[in-house]
Amino acid sequence: MSVASTPTSKSWQFPLRWGVFVVLAAAVALVVAERAYRVFEVQFAGAILKVITSSGVYVAGERETVYFGLSGTDPLGLRMTPECSSAFMLIPLFLVTAVMMWFRPRNTRRLFLSLAISAIAVILVNQLRILAIAGLVHWLGIDRGYYWGHTLLGSLVSVLGGALALVLFVWLGTRGSKGPKNRESAS
Amino acid sequence: MSGESFKVLLAITQAFALTMSVAFIVYVIVIVVPFLRREPAPVGDADRFSWHFFVPCRDEQTVIGETVRYLRSTFPAAHVWVVDDDSEDRTARVVRSLWRRDGQYDPFLHLVCRRRPDARTGKGDALNAAYRELNAWSDGSVPRSDVVVVVVDADGRPAPNCLTVCAADHLFGDGTIGAVQLDVRMGNRSTPPPRKSWFGRAFGLKLAQLQDLEFRTAIAAIQTSRGFTGTISMGGNGQFTRLTALDSIAGEDGTPWRGSLLEDFELGVHLLTAGWRTGYTPDSYVAQEGLYSLRRFLVQRTRWGQGTMQCLRYLRRIWDSPHISTFGAAEMMYYLAQPWMQLLGSLLYPIPFLVLLVNTAGDPATMWSWFTDGAWILFAIYGSFGLLPFVMWGPIYQWKCLRSKNILAGFGMGLAYAAYIYTFYITSWRALFRLVRGRNGWSKTRRNTEAATGAKVALDS
Repeated sequence: MSVASTPTSKSWQFPLRWGVFVVLAAAVALVVAERAYRVFEVQFAGAILKVITSSGVYVAGERETVYFGLSGTDPLGLRMTPECSSAFMLIPLFLVTAVMMWFRPRNTRRLFLSLAISAIAVILVNQLRILAIAGLVHWLGIDRGYYWGHTLLGSLVSVLGGALALVLFVWLGTRGSKGPKNRESAS
Repeated sequence: MSGESFKVLLAITQAFALTMSVAFIVYVIVIVVPFLRREPAPVGDADRFSWHFFVPCRDEQTVIGETVRYLRSTFPAAHVWVVDDDSEDRTARVVRSLWRRDGQYDPFLHLVCRRRPDARTGKGDALNAAYRELNAWSDGSVPRSDVVVVVVDADGRPAPNCLTVCAADHLFGDGTIGAVQLDVRMGNRSTPPPRKSWFGRAFGLKLAQLQDLEFRTAIAAIQTSRGFTGTISMGGNGQFTRLTALDSIAGEDGTPWRGSLLEDFELGVHLLTAGWRTGYTPDSYVAQEGLYSLRRFLVQRTRWGQGTMQCLRYLRRIWDSPHISTFGAAEMMYYLAQPWMQLLGSLLYPIPFLVLLVNTAGDPATMWSWFTDGAWILFAIYGSFGLLPFVMWGPIYQWKCLRSKNILAGFGMGLAYAAYIYTFYITSWRALFRLVRGRNGWSKTRRNTEAATGAKVALDS
């Protein structure tokens, strides 16, 4: 038995170089364009709220704020601050993906898929958090609803959603994947 | 820095802190389930194998005599190889006196003497010397695949059933298994240290008990879960390795153990990347002395942390190995990243508290109102997430290891264990400073008895 150090074949140089670069560039872009991302998040939240509520929704993109309950007794505007955005929750996922691509470039396609799915999970979880706040405000009123929705439920949703995204990422990114030799013999 | 930039920076640190915390919580949940569900496995026939205990010694006169007597009487068919690493005390003399008993030489006891400048260069080198001596001594009458080397610390007490357990069909009975790690326990978990003050005795005993808890719950759970990722790692005590596995990684110079401060983990990496499978069993154990002294404990953990940092160099080898799955490589990377994540965490986790402190100093009334209006819930949540992954091991230890239903005592042990674990934030920084300053010497952890008798101890090389 001996140690077989498998050099990266030339055919895999492209995804190795560009896959890692693309992921890292995306992480940097996310930081640079975080405000645009927050605008996208409130617009997305507004679109969902328009579908599931009938009490009036307005998105003020320039203020990264979504207003809801406009025709009811408890209208409220939620501003997507950097701390509340899912933008930065994606960065650790991007970095881990880049590291795993660097070390095992043959997994690039699989890692892109797992990154995409777990990133979607992170984004949806943050939308769920906004919906939870909207729902609790509608149910309990502004003060109590925002308090429970933002402070308690919001934190729990963030943690559980983060856990879900991580499990998805690891499971999709590593399942059934052997070392280079095994995969070569299987291909 | 503008207010918006500061918020972005704060958000990034929060995201990393939350990700690391959530990853750890998920990891703990994943490892605890198989640990709690595990059932004892069948044992095997120890006579199928030839067993050789390697006992590296560096100034071990206070413990080596009893250890050799124990090994020879408990495992009469096994060979004991004591490696005297140019001890400055009477270690070699103690072993020689045991070797000559009743006017005869004990053919199962061997003393491997090392001399400076080649000696006192690390535990790995001492074990390599024993490996070469074993090779020279071996007459080939036993197939090398049936020879098993057992590394035991000078104060180690392998349980009497350890050979039959390790000979089981799923362990060395399986030819693809290259190494097996035993569960580790603290033999002195019920013995308070001989100190004058009540507090000193209570603290020392609790520290030894916490080490017992750590090895028998958290580490055992990690090792059990590694059975699924195929990345069970080796420890420094109770480490069983098939001779052919050592041969496969020894190279021309006969050095299966390498030079990092974590030579045991290093051995596991080399075996796994060479295609061997590794096993772990909590069905038997090796007892060792838990440390009573916090200072010595911190030194020991600094050494382990530095060793883990050194082993980061194996990442490329691990990921390149055709024998390690992506899941396994990711698990090993997570383990090797631990000291670095502790460094990062020690920088990130205090940031929200610093911001809170600054805000409170600026406007205490508003901050108090914010806190009492519900922000305390956030503190409770994040405090729970920070503590529960550690506190939970207390009741588990009480119930699963001590067979006690005193959950309150278990909860108390869990809280103490959380404090114990948080010392790693200190040792990781100490390890980094040692690494940066190039201080890679082997500072042997002093035995409890050495402090009690005032015996001479080994110094950092």
